[in-house]
Amino acid sequence: MRSERQRKAWLTVAEVLVKIDAHVHVFSKVTAEFPREANDQLPAEDEAPVERLLKTMDDTGVDRSLLIQIGGTSIEHHAYLLHCLSTYPERFLGIGRIPDDVDDPVDHMDRLAETSGVIGFRLFGLGGPEPLQPVDIREFRTYPIWKRAAEMDYVIWLYPRSIDVHLVPFLLEAFPQVRVGYNHLMVSPGTENFQMENGRPRIETRMPPAHRQFVRGMSRFENVRALISGQYAFSNEAWPYADLRDWQHYLARLFGADRLMWGSDFPFVTEEYGDEAGYGGQVRLVEEVYDEWTGEERGMISGGNAEGFLRFK
Amino acid sequence: MTVDVADGVREHLEETGYVVVEDAIVGEELARLQEAFNRFSDEARPGWLEQVAQGRGSSAFFDVGGSLEKDDVFLGLVDHPSFFPILMDATGGELLFLFPQVRTVPVSPVSYVGWHSDMPHTNPLHLKVQIYVNDVPADRGPFAYIPQSHKPGAGPYPSVKKLDHMPGHRPLPGKAGTAIVFNGYGWHTSMVNRTPVPRKSIILIYEKWNEARWDPEQWQGIEEKLTTPERRKLFGIER
Repeated sequence: MRSERQRKAWLTVAEVLVKIDAHVHVFSKVTAEFPREANDQLPAEDEAPVERLLKTMDDTGVDRSLLIQIGGTSIEHHAYLLHCLSTYPERFLGIGRIPDDVDDPVDHMDRLAETSGVIGFRLFGLGGPEPLQPVDIREFRTYPIWKRAAEMDYVIWLYPRSIDVHLVPFLLEAFPQVRVGYNHLMVSPGTENFQMENGRPRIETRMPPAHRQFVRGMSRFENVRALISGQYAFSNEAWPYADLRDWQHYLARLFGADRLMWGSDFPFVTEEYGDEAGYGGQVRLVEEVYDEWTGEERGMISGGNAEGFLRFK
Repeated sequence: MTVDVADGVREHLEETGYVVVEDAIVGEELARLQEAFNRFSDEARPGWLEQVAQGRGSSAFFDVGGSLEKDDVFLGLVDHPSFFPILMDATGGELLFLFPQVRTVPVSPVSYVGWHSDMPHTNPLHLKVQIYVNDVPADRGPFAYIPQSHKPGAGPYPSVKKLDHMPGHRPLPGKAGTAIVFNGYGWHTSMVNRTPVPRKSIILIYEKWNEARWDPEQWQGIEEKLTTPERRKLFGIER
């Protein structure tokens, strides 16, 4: 039998590095304790409890996760997220949401972040002018949010729609100190190609995406990380989504191994949502996609980068 | 075929890969070009924005489609006497017009295109003309080229995070009506536009005549305007 020291010597660098899932969702049934919005994607009786996530993580060797708020944007809608963060602070950090029509987004952000593990906020719309219109970022609806993120070191978790992509470089340039995680392969869906299928998003989009020029341009901003996540929504093939391989490698060339972060989009990648590869397939995806990279590089994508960038303790 | 071009032009194109033709389009012709450009861009913009919103088009730039069918001022650029002899000279008179891009590039901190070469040397000679429709000073996203990068064996060129970090590159600003003829083997880009004004330009794309690119059907829609043998050959209506 090998000693612990001998065993560690057998481990690859990737196996030694922490494994962090940088994009997961948990939600409860709608209850008085945990109110949330109910809709086609999240019916009131559906749930993806944190205990299920923890078991899934433990079964697959994932150490920590970033919980992304789902089910509403009000403070009250964050009840389950806050519960999970306070109950398992050693396992999770969180990303909150901000209502588009909130009077004081700064107060909303600070209230969510002050006593919890909420480290940042997810943005979809940016509230700026359409392409070819004059741009003054101070007039963007989300300008106060970016400004506060810069002041308080909050993370911006970005998933802009295609009509807003042209606004992103202006904000990245103005706020180089803000840590930005660009969700789901940096694909920004349009209005007509987003639908639900088997209870999870299905996005019919051409690859590479129409806004690929912006992706290349945005890679020069050192504060941006690209999420290797959401493949199931864009791919027309089963795991390991071979039709996305060129784009995944293009992102790797642009950003390098130290600026990519893996995320699963749990629970939408589980067998419950008809995903045959399941969560385990997501965990193996980095190794599958970046098979020519070193174990250390794959380890960085699978958790090492998230540990530093998101500041998991 | 021998074509008269000004002294030094052929040598400059061969040596550097590009030639700047100042005042290629001037006066009434320039004014008419600008008016047509703006009118058709305004007409096409809502459709483009819809494509962008749907996720089917890029907001990085905006082209007017079918420009040659829309107005003869665009058609007249294809064999414009201010730069056409340079193209004919470079190809020994064996020139084939491929297509135009009537292009508006919105203001952005990032360019819509990185440093690139259009074609490898295995492709027939690939030539382009970039015509500025509005003034393009150094900070309004001018076309830029790496001199001598069109030559076989040139490079390799580094991958740079910022366009202006490319060693040896030369931005080519110019006032409205300036035309830049360049060899598509060479490395080029559009620099970042730091002004509040979008860049407007027309890019004309040609190749040395070759069977693979020849499509006698492509310009059937404007065939009645292609009346001279030279034009019919240029547009591939006839060989």
